[in-house]
Amino acid sequence: MTKKIIFCIILFYILILIQTSFSVYFKVLDLIPNLVLIAVVFITLFTPQQWWGVSAALIGGFYLDIFSLSNIGFFGFYTLVLLLFSFLSKIILQKYVRIPLFKRI
Amino acid sequence: MRMFRNLKIIVFLILLIGVFVVLNLSGFTKNIKNFFYSVSSPIQKTLWQAGKNTSDFFSGIIEIKTLKKELDSLYTKNQELLGEIVVLKELKKENETLKEALDIELQKDFQLKIAQLIGKDISQDSILLDKGQKDGILKGMPVVTSQKMLLGRIGEVYDNFSEVILISNKQSSFDAKISEKEIFGVVRGKGNQELYLDLIPKEKEVSKEDLVITAALGGIFPQGLLVGKIKDVRKTDIEPFQTAEIEPEFNLKNLDYLFIITDF
Repeated sequence: MTKKIIFCIILFYILILIQTSFSVYFKVLDLIPNLVLIAVVFITLFTPQQWWGVSAALIGGFYLDIFSLSNIGFFGFYTLVLLLFSFLSKIILQKYVRIPLFKRI
Repeated sequence: MRMFRNLKIIVFLILLIGVFVVLNLSGFTKNIKNFFYSVSSPIQKTLWQAGKNTSDFFSGIIEIKTLKKELDSLYTKNQELLGEIVVLKELKKENETLKEALDIELQKDFQLKIAQLIGKDISQDSILLDKGQKDGILKGMPVVTSQKMLLGRIGEVYDNFSEVILISNKQSSFDAKISEKEIFGVVRGKGNQELYLDLIPKEKEVSKEDLVITAALGGIFPQGLLVGKIKDVRKTDIEPFQTAEIEPEFNLKNLDYLFIITDF
């Protein structure tokens, strides 16, 4: 588990640096893709264990808070939003969505 | 069991909110951000340059056909401009003589500090510069390009870095006027590098390509800095004022070094 979290920390650090420095030059439909957000959503939705999504939301949100200017000026805004998303999406997926990916053997 | 688990999640979230509130109130977030910016700035500078080079390379390939057409039109334009340069050189000489006579120089009006652009915010309307509190940068200082085009003002200041709120940011608004027409209005940011001139008196005639410059009224920016040119004018019978879309003169892709006006 520790190894996976360290992997997450490094992965998101690389993604946020690419997002704020490199991908600025490559707009898609006049928008810069939020790589960290995409990664958090992907991990939350496609990993069966909840701690994966929570860790990704915590790490990704923390980096977004550091490297971006929040609209409401509150440090922690992105972390809290992503965490809420992570918890809520897991609840919705477990309660209301039945797809083979989440079926326990 | 499930109830206990949900309770744990709620307690965890409340604790986390508490930690963030304390961090925000104590101002410790500035130290955290400064630390991360210091560690990341060499990598960000390299990535920024790499992105620029890659973008230039690909846009060169994509635009090769249009480049040829542009080259021809530019050649014609160049001939016209050469003629204009001769006239302008004469005017420059005259201007320099007048300036000397009046003892007015631009460097005397502004004290500038050069800074390098190292990162851009995902919301796209703020950027990060490599000069901060240690270099004498303060919140609210105007930021311009080397051509004296207005870019924004300093937002948050860290020890070695500072954030610039671009004029296109939704939080940004300042007084401006249309050059040579004495028509005043308020420039407001729309986000995504777009801005517009608001509160223009209805009876005033605003036309496309008019240049918008800063006015001294608000005291936020020094007067006479170039903001952009009018792209589109919107006038309705219902509203008491007219508005105009402004095309900003700056292009973030081509910017490396910027100037912070420390005194005006």
